[in-house]
Amino acid sequence: MSDRPRKLECEAFLEALEATSPEKGTEALPGVLLGLMNEPKRGHAEVCADCRAAVEAMSVTRRELARLSEAALEPRPWFTTRVMGAIRAKESEIEEKKNGVWVSVRRLAPRLVALCTLLLVLGGTWALEVRKAEEARQAEMRPVESLFESTASTPLNDDVLAVSHQEAHP
Amino acid sequence: MAPAADEAGKSRRDNDRELVKRAQKEDKEAFEELVRRHQARVFAVAGGILRNKEDVEDIAQQVFLKAYFSLKRFDQRAAFSTWLYKITVNECWDLLRKRKVRPLLYEADLSEEQARQYGASEERAEQAQDVSERLEKRQELERLLDCLEERDRTMLVLKEVQGFSVEEIAEVLGINGNTVKVRLFRARQRITERLRRRRAAGV
Repeated sequence: MSDRPRKLECEAFLEALEATSPEKGTEALPGVLLGLMNEPKRGHAEVCADCRAAVEAMSVTRRELARLSEAALEPRPWFTTRVMGAIRAKESEIEEKKNGVWVSVRRLAPRLVALCTLLLVLGGTWALEVRKAEEARQAEMRPVESLFESTASTPLNDDVLAVSHQEAHP
Repeated sequence: MAPAADEAGKSRRDNDRELVKRAQKEDKEAFEELVRRHQARVFAVAGGILRNKEDVEDIAQQVFLKAYFSLKRFDQRAAFSTWLYKITVNECWDLLRKRKVRPLLYEADLSEEQARQYGASEERAEQAQDVSERLEKRQELERLLDCLEERDRTMLVLKEVQGFSVEEIAEVLGINGNTVKVRLFRARQRITERLRRRRAAGV
Protein backbone atom coordinates (compact mmCIF):
# COMPACT_ATOMS: atom_id res chain seq x y z
CA MET A 1 0.00 0.00 0.00
CA SER A 2 1.40 3.42 -0.92
CA ASP A 3 1.89 6.06 1.76
CA ARG A 4 -0.80 8.50 0.63
CA PRO A 5 -3.92 6.23 0.87
CA ARG A 6 -2.52 4.76 4.09
CA LYS A 7 -2.23 8.25 5.56
CA LEU A 8 -5.80 9.03 4.55
CA GLU A 9 -6.98 5.81 6.17
CA CYS A 10 -5.13 6.74 9.35
CA GLU A 11 -6.76 10.18 9.36
CA ALA A 12 -10.22 8.66 8.89
CA PHE A 13 -9.51 6.10 11.60
CA LEU A 14 -8.35 8.73 14.11
CA GLU A 15 -11.36 10.88 13.25
CA ALA A 16 -13.69 7.98 13.99
CA LEU A 17 -11.79 7.15 17.17
CA GLU A 18 -12.12 10.73 18.37
CA ALA A 19 -15.85 10.61 17.71
CA THR A 20 -16.40 7.62 20.02
CA SER A 21 -18.26 8.59 23.14
CA PRO A 22 -16.68 8.14 26.56
CA GLU A 23 -20.09 7.75 28.21
CA LYS A 24 -19.83 4.10 29.21
CA GLY A 25 -16.99 2.70 31.26
CA THR A 26 -16.64 -0.40 29.08
CA GLU A 27 -15.77 1.76 26.09
CA ALA A 28 -12.40 2.36 27.69
CA LEU A 29 -11.31 -1.13 26.60
CA PRO A 30 -9.39 -1.17 23.29
CA GLY A 31 -11.52 -4.07 21.97
CA VAL A 32 -14.73 -2.21 22.71
CA LEU A 33 -13.40 0.97 21.15
CA LEU A 34 -12.54 -0.95 17.99
CA GLY A 35 -15.92 -2.62 18.09
CA LEU A 36 -17.55 0.79 17.70
CA MET A 37 -15.95 1.17 14.29
CA ASN A 38 -16.91 -0.30 10.95
CA GLU A 39 -15.20 -3.27 9.34
CA PRO A 40 -12.76 -1.37 7.04
CA LYS A 41 -11.53 0.68 10.00
CA ARG A 42 -11.06 -2.40 12.14
CA GLY A 43 -9.15 -3.94 9.25
CA HIS A 44 -6.96 -0.85 9.08
CA ALA A 45 -6.19 -1.08 12.80
CA GLU A 46 -5.00 -4.65 12.32
CA VAL A 47 -2.32 -3.57 9.91
CA CYS A 48 -1.48 -0.12 11.33
CA ALA A 49 0.58 -0.11 14.50
CA ASP A 50 0.27 3.68 14.96
CA CYS A 51 -3.52 3.53 14.96
CA ARG A 52 -3.48 0.59 17.37
CA ALA A 53 -1.25 2.68 19.63
CA ALA A 54 -3.77 5.54 19.38
CA VAL A 55 -6.57 3.18 20.46
CA GLU A 56 -4.43 1.98 23.34
CA ALA A 57 -3.64 5.57 24.39
CA MET A 58 -7.29 6.53 24.27
CA SER A 59 -8.38 3.52 26.30
CA VAL A 60 -5.67 4.13 28.93
CA THR A 61 -6.59 7.82 29.21
CA ARG A 62 -10.30 7.09 29.53
CA ARG A 63 -9.69 4.43 32.14
CA GLU A 64 -7.56 6.81 34.21
CA LEU A 65 -9.85 9.79 33.81
CA ALA A 66 -12.88 7.72 34.74
CA ARG A 67 -11.73 8.23 38.33
CA LEU A 68 -12.39 11.91 37.92
CA SER A 69 -15.93 11.36 36.74
CA GLU A 70 -16.54 8.84 39.55
CA ALA A 71 -15.72 11.62 41.98
CA ALA A 72 -17.65 14.32 40.13
CA LEU A 73 -18.84 16.89 42.59
CA GLU A 74 -22.55 17.40 42.94
CA PRO A 75 -23.86 20.86 43.69
CA ARG A 76 -25.44 21.03 47.12
CA PRO A 77 -29.22 21.49 47.23
CA TRP A 78 -29.00 25.11 48.33
CA PHE A 79 -26.50 26.11 45.68
CA THR A 80 -29.09 27.90 43.49
CA THR A 81 -30.35 29.85 46.51
CA ARG A 82 -26.75 30.78 47.34
CA VAL A 83 -26.15 32.04 43.80
CA MET A 84 -29.36 34.08 43.71
CA GLY A 85 -28.53 35.52 47.13
CA ALA A 86 -25.08 36.52 45.91
CA ILE A 87 -26.64 38.17 42.85
CA ARG A 88 -29.04 40.19 45.02
CA ALA A 89 -26.20 41.20 47.35
CA LYS A 90 -24.07 42.31 44.41
CA GLU A 91 -26.96 44.26 42.92
CA SER A 92 -27.62 46.14 46.14
CA GLU A 93 -23.88 46.81 46.47
CA ILE A 94 -23.89 48.34 42.98
CA GLU A 95 -27.04 50.32 43.80
CA GLU A 96 -25.49 51.55 47.04
CA LYS A 97 -22.37 52.63 45.20
CA LYS A 98 -24.45 54.56 42.66
CA ASN A 99 -26.49 56.20 45.42
CA GLY A 100 -23.33 56.83 47.39
CA VAL A 101 -21.86 58.88 44.57
CA TRP A 102 -25.08 60.90 44.19
CA VAL A 103 -25.37 61.51 47.94
CA SER A 104 -21.76 62.70 48.08
CA VAL A 105 -22.38 65.10 45.21
CA ARG A 106 -25.45 66.54 46.95
CA ARG A 107 -23.66 66.89 50.27
CA LEU A 108 -20.71 68.62 48.68
CA ALA A 109 -22.83 70.91 46.47
CA PRO A 110 -22.77 74.07 48.73
CA ARG A 111 -19.03 73.72 49.19
CA LEU A 112 -18.60 73.29 45.45
CA VAL A 113 -20.67 76.43 44.79
CA ALA A 114 -18.63 78.41 47.34
CA LEU A 115 -15.40 77.16 45.83
CA CYS A 116 -16.55 78.06 42.33
CA THR A 117 -17.55 81.58 43.46
CA LEU A 118 -14.22 82.09 45.16
CA LEU A 119 -12.40 80.91 42.06
CA LEU A 120 -14.50 83.26 39.92
CA VAL A 121 -13.75 86.27 42.15
CA LEU A 122 -10.05 85.49 42.33
CA GLY A 123 -9.89 84.84 38.60
CA GLY A 124 -11.75 88.10 37.83
CA THR A 125 -9.51 90.16 40.11
CA TRP A 126 -6.42 88.64 38.63
CA ALA A 127 -7.65 89.35 35.07
CA LEU A 128 -8.38 92.98 36.00
CA GLU A 129 -4.95 93.42 37.55
CA VAL A 130 -3.29 91.96 34.52
CA ARG A 131 -5.19 94.40 32.27
CA LYS A 132 -4.28 97.40 34.42
CA ALA A 133 -0.63 96.39 34.45
CA GLU A 134 -0.70 96.05 30.68
CA GLU A 135 -2.22 99.51 30.24
CA ALA A 136 0.39 101.03 32.53
CA ARG A 137 3.16 99.37 30.62
CA GLN A 138 1.82 100.69 27.32
CA ALA A 139 1.52 104.19 28.77
CA GLU A 140 5.13 104.07 29.87
CA MET A 141 6.24 103.06 26.44
CA ARG A 142 4.45 106.07 24.69
CA PRO A 143 7.09 108.69 23.47
CA VAL A 144 7.41 111.80 25.71
CA GLU A 145 7.04 115.27 24.01
CA SER A 146 10.32 117.19 23.83
CA LEU A 147 10.73 120.95 24.10
CA PHE A 148 13.37 120.96 21.36
CA GLU A 149 11.51 118.95 18.80
CA SER A 150 8.91 120.63 16.60
CA THR A 151 5.53 119.20 16.98
CA ALA A 152 3.48 118.40 13.98
CA SER A 153 1.24 121.26 12.96
CA THR A 154 -2.40 120.58 13.56
CA PRO A 155 -5.36 122.75 12.59
CA LEU A 156 -5.92 123.46 16.28
CA ASN A 157 -2.37 124.83 16.69
CA ASP A 158 -2.80 127.07 13.62
CA ASP A 159 -5.98 128.58 15.05
CA VAL A 160 -4.24 129.36 18.28
CA LEU A 161 -1.37 131.03 16.34
CA ALA A 162 -3.79 133.11 14.19
CA VAL A 163 -5.57 134.46 17.22
CA SER A 164 -2.32 135.38 18.87
CA HIS A 165 -1.12 137.34 15.80
CA GLN A 166 -4.27 139.49 15.66
CA GLU A 167 -3.99 140.20 19.31
CA ALA A 168 -0.36 141.25 18.86
CA HIS A 169 -1.09 143.55 15.90
CA PRO A 170 -4.55 145.06 16.30
CA MET B 1 -25.76 10.91 18.44
CA ALA B 2 -29.19 9.26 18.35
CA PRO B 3 -32.00 11.27 16.70
CA ALA B 4 -34.02 11.32 19.94
CA ALA B 5 -31.07 12.67 21.91
CA ASP B 6 -30.47 15.17 19.14
CA GLU B 7 -34.08 16.31 19.35
CA ALA B 8 -33.87 16.59 23.13
CA GLY B 9 -30.69 18.62 22.86
CA LYS B 10 -32.28 20.99 20.35
CA SER B 11 -35.37 21.49 22.47
CA ARG B 12 -33.17 22.14 25.50
CA ARG B 13 -31.20 24.76 23.59
CA ASP B 14 -34.45 26.41 22.47
CA ASN B 15 -35.67 26.50 26.06
CA ASP B 16 -32.35 27.95 27.14
CA ARG B 17 -32.70 30.62 24.47
CA GLU B 18 -36.12 31.59 25.77
CA LEU B 19 -34.89 31.65 29.37
CA VAL B 20 -31.88 33.75 28.40
CA LYS B 21 -34.15 36.28 26.65
CA ARG B 22 -36.27 36.55 29.79
CA ALA B 23 -33.23 36.77 32.03
CA GLN B 24 -31.83 39.53 29.86
CA LYS B 25 -34.95 41.50 30.78
CA GLU B 26 -33.98 41.03 34.44
CA ASP B 27 -36.34 38.13 35.07
CA LYS B 28 -34.61 36.50 38.03
CA GLU B 29 -36.75 33.39 37.98
CA ALA B 30 -35.62 32.67 34.44
CA PHE B 31 -31.99 33.00 35.48
CA GLU B 32 -32.60 30.79 38.51
CA GLU B 33 -33.92 28.12 36.15
CA LEU B 34 -30.79 28.46 34.02
CA VAL B 35 -28.65 27.99 37.14
CA ARG B 36 -30.62 24.88 38.07
CA ARG B 37 -30.21 23.44 34.58
CA HIS B 38 -26.50 24.02 34.20
CA GLN B 39 -25.08 23.87 37.70
CA ALA B 40 -24.23 20.15 37.61
CA ARG B 41 -22.17 20.48 34.45
CA VAL B 42 -20.47 23.66 35.60
CA PHE B 43 -19.51 21.78 38.78
CA ALA B 44 -18.27 18.83 36.76
CA VAL B 45 -16.16 20.97 34.42
CA ALA B 46 -14.70 23.01 37.27
CA GLY B 47 -14.20 19.81 39.29
CA GLY B 48 -12.15 18.32 36.46
CA ILE B 49 -9.86 21.33 36.28
CA LEU B 50 -9.64 22.17 39.99
CA ARG B 51 -9.30 19.70 42.83
CA ASN B 52 -10.73 21.32 45.90
CA LYS B 53 -14.46 21.13 46.53
CA GLU B 54 -14.65 24.53 48.18
CA ASP B 55 -12.88 26.04 45.20
CA VAL B 56 -15.30 24.35 42.84
CA GLU B 57 -18.34 25.70 44.64
CA ASP B 58 -16.87 29.21 44.84
CA ILE B 59 -15.88 29.15 41.20
CA ALA B 60 -19.30 27.86 40.16
CA GLN B 61 -20.93 30.72 42.06
CA GLN B 62 -18.51 33.18 40.48
CA VAL B 63 -19.33 31.77 37.04
CA PHE B 64 -23.07 32.30 37.49
CA LEU B 65 -22.54 35.79 38.93
CA LYS B 66 -20.39 36.73 35.97
CA ALA B 67 -22.92 35.21 33.59
CA TYR B 68 -25.77 37.16 35.20
CA PHE B 69 -24.03 40.50 35.01
CA SER B 70 -22.73 39.93 31.45
CA LEU B 71 -25.95 38.41 30.15
CA LYS B 72 -27.05 41.60 28.42
CA ARG B 73 -23.94 41.47 26.27
CA PHE B 74 -24.52 37.81 25.33
CA ASP B 75 -25.93 37.83 21.79
CA GLN B 76 -26.93 34.12 21.67
CA ARG B 77 -24.81 33.41 18.61
CA ALA B 78 -23.31 30.51 20.55
CA ALA B 79 -25.32 28.20 22.80
CA PHE B 80 -25.76 29.49 26.34
CA SER B 81 -24.11 26.32 27.69
CA THR B 82 -21.00 26.83 25.56
CA TRP B 83 -20.75 30.44 26.70
CA LEU B 84 -21.17 29.34 30.31
CA TYR B 85 -18.46 26.64 30.06
CA LYS B 86 -16.16 29.18 28.48
CA ILE B 87 -16.60 31.39 31.55
CA THR B 88 -16.08 28.33 33.77
CA VAL B 89 -12.81 27.35 32.13
CA ASN B 90 -11.51 30.92 32.24
CA GLU B 91 -12.44 31.34 35.89
CA CYS B 92 -10.69 28.06 36.77
CA TRP B 93 -7.55 29.06 34.88
CA ASP B 94 -7.57 32.46 36.55
CA LEU B 95 -7.70 30.83 39.94
CA LEU B 96 -4.90 28.41 39.07
CA ARG B 97 -2.81 31.27 37.74
CA LYS B 98 -3.36 33.20 40.96
CA ARG B 99 -2.41 30.23 43.07
CA LYS B 100 0.35 28.94 40.82
CA VAL B 101 0.32 25.79 42.92
CA ARG B 102 -1.99 22.93 42.16
CA PRO B 103 -3.98 21.69 45.12
CA LEU B 104 -3.73 17.94 45.05
CA LEU B 105 -6.87 16.80 46.82
CA TYR B 106 -10.59 17.06 46.57
CA GLU B 107 -12.05 18.21 49.82
CA ALA B 108 -14.76 15.61 49.20
CA ASP B 109 -12.14 12.91 49.76
CA LEU B 110 -11.59 14.19 53.29
CA SER B 111 -8.24 15.26 54.61
CA GLU B 112 -5.91 12.76 56.18
CA GLU B 113 -6.65 14.25 59.57
CA GLN B 114 -10.34 13.68 58.98
CA ALA B 115 -9.59 10.17 57.83
CA ARG B 116 -7.66 9.53 61.04
CA GLN B 117 -10.68 10.60 63.04
CA TYR B 118 -12.45 7.50 61.84
CA GLY B 119 -10.08 5.34 63.84
CA ALA B 120 -12.37 5.08 66.88
CA SER B 121 -14.30 1.97 65.95
CA GLU B 122 -13.53 -1.00 63.75
CA GLU B 123 -16.15 0.09 61.27
CA ARG B 124 -14.68 3.54 61.15
CA ALA B 125 -11.21 2.11 60.75
CA GLU B 126 -12.41 0.32 57.64
CA GLN B 127 -13.91 3.55 56.36
CA ALA B 128 -10.62 5.34 57.03
CA GLN B 129 -8.77 2.73 55.04
CA ASP B 130 -11.25 3.17 52.23
CA VAL B 131 -10.82 6.92 52.36
CA SER B 132 -7.05 6.73 52.33
CA GLU B 133 -7.15 4.29 49.41
CA ARG B 134 -9.28 6.73 47.47
CA LEU B 135 -6.96 9.51 48.49
CA GLU B 136 -3.98 7.53 47.30
CA LYS B 137 -5.64 6.77 43.96
CA ARG B 138 -6.57 10.40 43.44
CA GLN B 139 -3.06 11.56 44.20
CA GLU B 140 -1.76 8.99 41.75
CA LEU B 141 -4.07 10.38 39.09
CA GLU B 142 -3.04 13.93 39.87
CA ARG B 143 0.63 12.98 39.58
CA LEU B 144 -0.15 11.39 36.25
CA LEU B 145 -1.98 14.47 34.98
CA ASP B 146 0.81 16.72 36.20
CA CYS B 147 2.72 15.96 33.01
CA LEU B 148 0.13 17.94 31.07
CA GLU B 149 -0.22 21.64 30.51
CA GLU B 150 -3.31 23.18 32.08
CA ARG B 151 -4.88 23.69 28.65
CA ASP B 152 -4.33 20.05 27.64
CA ARG B 153 -5.70 18.79 30.91
CA THR B 154 -8.81 20.92 30.43
CA MET B 155 -9.26 19.53 26.93
CA LEU B 156 -8.98 15.96 28.17
CA VAL B 157 -11.43 16.58 31.00
CA LEU B 158 -13.93 18.19 28.65
CA LYS B 159 -13.56 15.43 26.08
CA GLU B 160 -13.15 12.27 28.11
CA VAL B 161 -15.01 13.11 31.30
CA GLN B 162 -17.68 15.52 30.11
CA GLY B 163 -18.15 14.07 26.64
CA PHE B 164 -17.76 17.36 24.77
CA SER B 165 -17.20 17.09 21.02
CA VAL B 166 -14.02 18.43 19.44
CA GLU B 167 -16.05 21.33 17.97
CA GLU B 168 -17.49 22.23 21.37
CA ILE B 169 -14.03 22.20 22.96
CA ALA B 170 -12.71 24.37 20.16
CA GLU B 171 -15.49 26.88 20.79
CA VAL B 172 -15.10 26.87 24.56
CA LEU B 173 -11.33 27.33 24.39
CA GLY B 174 -11.44 29.63 21.38
CA ILE B 175 -9.04 27.57 19.30
CA ASN B 176 -9.06 25.64 16.03
CA GLY B 177 -10.64 22.16 15.92
CA ASN B 178 -7.54 20.62 14.39
CA THR B 179 -5.40 22.04 17.17
CA VAL B 180 -7.74 20.40 19.67
CA LYS B 181 -7.40 17.03 17.92
CA VAL B 182 -3.61 17.24 17.75
CA ARG B 183 -3.26 18.34 21.37
CA LEU B 184 -5.64 15.64 22.60
CA PHE B 185 -3.69 13.02 20.66
CA ARG B 186 -0.38 14.20 22.15
CA ALA B 187 -1.80 14.47 25.65
CA ARG B 188 -3.02 10.88 25.52
CA GLN B 189 0.34 9.72 24.26
CA ARG B 190 2.07 11.57 27.08
CA ILE B 191 -0.16 9.94 29.69
CA THR B 192 0.36 6.49 28.21
CA GLU B 193 4.10 7.02 28.07
CA ARG B 194 4.21 8.21 31.66
CA LEU B 195 2.19 5.22 32.84
CA ARG B 196 4.45 2.86 30.92
CA ARG B 197 7.53 4.38 32.54
CA ARG B 198 6.00 4.22 35.99
CA ARG B 199 5.09 0.59 35.50
CA ALA B 200 8.57 -0.17 34.24
CA ALA B 201 9.99 1.52 37.35
CA GLY B 202 7.60 -0.54 39.49
CA VAL B 203 5.74 2.50 40.87
